[in-house]
Formats: sequence, C-alpha cells, structure tokens
Amino acid sequence: MLDTFLEALYNKVFVNILVKRSSTDVYIEIRSKKGVIDHCQESFDTTILSHQLLEFINSYTKESPYFYISFLDISAEQGALPTCEKNRLGFYGDVSASEYKCHDKKWTYYTSKTDLYVMEKRYAKIGVDFVFSPYSVLSNFFKDKIPTTLAMYILIQDSFISLSIFDNGALLYAQQLDMETTSEDTDEILTSIEEEEISLDIEQSINLEDIDVDDDIMQDLDDFGDIEDLDSIEDIDEFSQDKDLDEELADAAEELAVEEPHEASFNEDYQRFSLIQASLNHFYNNEKYDSTFVETVYIADGAGVSSDLKDYLEEEIFLNVYLRRIDINMEVCELAQRELV
Amino acid sequence: MIYSYITPRKKSAFTQEIQLLLSFFTITLLMLFFTYTFLLYKNYVFVEDKNYKTLAKANLEKSLAEMKAQIHFIQEQELLSEKISTKNTVLKDSISNLFDLVPTRITLSQAKLLTNGLILYGVTPNKDIYNFMLQAPLRSIFHRTYSSFYPAQNGWLHFVSTNYIDKNEVSHEK
Repeated sequence: MLDTFLEALYNKVFVNILVKRSSTDVYIEIRSKKGVIDHCQESFDTTILSHQLLEFINSYTKESPYFYISFLDISAEQGALPTCEKNRLGFYGDVSASEYKCHDKKWTYYTSKTDLYVMEKRYAKIGVDFVFSPYSVLSNFFKDKIPTTLAMYILIQDSFISLSIFDNGALLYAQQLDMETTSEDTDEILTSIEEEEISLDIEQSINLEDIDVDDDIMQDLDDFGDIEDLDSIEDIDEFSQDKDLDEELADAAEELAVEEPHEASFNEDYQRFSLIQASLNHFYNNEKYDSTFVETVYIADGAGVSSDLKDYLEEEIFLNVYLRRIDINMEVCELAQRELV
Repeated sequence: MIYSYITPRKKSAFTQEIQLLLSFFTITLLMLFFTYTFLLYKNYVFVEDKNYKTLAKANLEKSLAEMKAQIHFIQEQELLSEKISTKNTVLKDSISNLFDLVPTRITLSQAKLLTNGLILYGVTPNKDIYNFMLQAPLRSIFHRTYSSFYPAQNGWLHFVSTNYIDKNEVSHEK
C-alpha cells in the first residue's frame, strides 16, 4: 500500500542495454505518470560493464529507486518454436537446458539458461530486471502484419539476425543467425565472392605506374638537380608543387580508406543474405516444419543495412522486400514498460 | 511476466539510505515522545503533589483554627474555673466567716444564701444573745437586716434573720 503510494511519487527510469559486436548502446528513458520526462542514448566502445558505463547508468538510476534494467538477449542459443505444448517442444529441439516462454499460447521463444546466468553475473553490479527475446521485439514491431499475413520477418542486429516465418499469426519457423559463426556453405560462397572482389579491386585499384603524375614527379626530380639553388628562395613555388602532390596522394589514400566501410557493409549484407537464404532453404527442406512458400519478407533493420540486401533478396530469391527502420532500444523500452502495466 | 525471461527485482522506495534515515528519525521521535511522556508524568505527579499539599495545608489551617478556638475555649474555661474557684473560695470564706460569726450559744438550723442576701434560721436562748452576738456582726456586713422571733417549746426562741445587701451598694463596691 505504502509502496504503491511511493511508487506513484517517483519517476521510473528505464535503462535499456543493447550489447553489440564491439560496443554497447545504452538508452535511458525517464517516465512519470504523465509520460516521458527525459531520454538519452549513449554508445560505449566496450562490451563489458566498464567503469564509464557503470557511472553513466548509475547517474540516472540513483535518481529513483524504481529503475529497471532491460537487456535484449544476445545468446546464440536462442530461438523460437512453433508450439506451446511442452510435450511437442522436444520434437523441434532439446530445450531442457533452456529457459522458454509461451507467447499468446501460440509459439514459444527460448534461450540458454547458462547464457542468462552469465548475463546476470556479468551485470550483477547494476542488476538485470528484464531480458527480452528478439522474437518478442519482432512480433511487437510487426504486430500490424503478423496476425494477417504469411511472410518472413527478420530483425537485423549488428551481429545477429532473428529470422521468423509467420502464417497469419502462427509461427512456422524461426532461427537465430549469428553473423560471427557462419556455415561452411556460406563461407564457400563468401570466399568465392571475396576472390571476385579482390580481383575487381586489383583491376580497379590505382596503378601508380600509370598515374600521369609520374611525369610531373620526374620533372620535379629533374628540378632537384639544381639542389644548390635551394638556398635561394626563388624556387619556392616548386616546393608548393611538391606539396600539392603529397596532398593528392593523401586524398587518394583517404578515398581508399573511405571505400573500406562500404566494402565491409557490402560483405556484411551479402553475408546476411547468405544466412537468410540458407535458413530459408533449411525451412523448405526440413520436414519438421510446415513448408509454405514465402513470397514476402518484412525486415526490421536495427543495424543500418544498405539497399544491397534488399536487392539480393529481390533478385536472388524473388521476394517482395519491405524494409522498416527499427530503434531496438526504444522497442525494448516499450516492452519493459508493458511488463510493468 | 509477459515477455521477459526473468522476473524483475523487487523495487522499493525504502533504500538502505532511506531506511537508515528513517531509523534515525524514528529513534529521535521515540526519544522525544518518551521525554514528553516522562515530562507529562512528572508534571502530573507534581500537580498531584501540589494538590495534596494544598489540601494538607487547608486541613492544617482548619485544624489550626480549631485548635486556636479550642485554646481560646480552654483559656475561657480556665478563666471561668479560676473565677468560679475564686468565687467558691470567697463563698467558702464567707460561709466560714458566717459560721465564725455564729456564737456557740445560738444554733443554726437552716441558712439560705441569696444573690444579694442571707436568710438564717435557728434557735437562740433569748433575744439579747441574738441581738448582741449575731445581729450586730450581721448589721456590719449587710445593709438591711430584719429579724423575727417565735417561741420554741423549750422556752427558747426560733429566729429568722433576713439580711440584704443593696444592689447599688454592691455595684459601688465592685
């Protein structure tokens, strides 16, 4: 009674932690009864609970005793199964070492108990209140589509892809795809692609011998013959020409450096495509699942994929692709708030 | 829990700091309350004591007044007793003197003491003895003296001597 009264007086602080491949995003939302009072987001270049991360979180959590720490599950051993019946769960896989929950009495999502325990231990200093499955986020994000459509729904994170196929609200298939551990087939594909890219890179790379600048350099070198004249300030213009050359080279190097992330993004998108393709094949070929032809895919993009992925899916698998940008932190925050209602 | 794998920790506004603060406040309030109660009790005891003392004082004053009245009454009684004693002494002396006045040859049969007089009854051998030996001293004491005789069977005379002291004379003497 008293606690309920005091709870009404205090603001609620929702801390949502999203652990990425090499960084950690923290989204904090302070809510009162009337609504959101304040929110902020900060990214830390660490995947552990560093001192700065701890200080940042504590600076907000100390404002109210009613704070809730939420995590999005990053376990590689998580997934979802198309039934809620306990005696049928074993048909799809071994869930004896997993924590699982039934969603709307239709399908089940699960994760590794060990990973949950590890997460709780790792973040014991701040505590863990909620751990959400990406499939919960996905079903919540596409709640307008899932109950009425047969489609594949994909949540793309930095290092994970949560793939699911729903037929009018019923889960047919789900798989958690880890970007860091790819299958052999995917590796082969990637290897061949990489080779092509390398050769493409060689062809497109700048051959220094072909650069017209060479003539200028030779000219400049000839000019160095008059080295004695360096003491005189008359040839200072020639130095400025040399400087221009350096700047040009530096610019070229910068351009190359700028191209690298694009290539990385390209690789990742292809890797994602390959993983999705392999998973879809697995769905079609595995007799455990009710194979239904999937024509549409809804992608919740939480990592910032390029249009390449969409192109791949459209051109290679002939899917109708709908891409929606998702702020995973906000979605997790929304789930945390729903938990408290 | 609808979505989360785990149950959130129980949240309470009573953090350790708040609990410590509340403990201090509670202890302080309790001490204040006990001090207040103690003072109330002492005040009550003091008022009771004061009332008791006031009552005792009133009783003492009352008994003192009674005692004073008693002392006054006793003093008055003492005075009265002294007065009576003096009167008795005087009376005794007067009677003694009276009997001393009566000669051996006259016999008194009755004597009445009045407020302002004396009536004597007796037997005398004759009038002369009476006149010279009894009436003369009586006349010196009383202002008015009346005597009457009547004969007895043996030839003696019964006499009745009535003697008065006048009031004016008595007040003069006083």
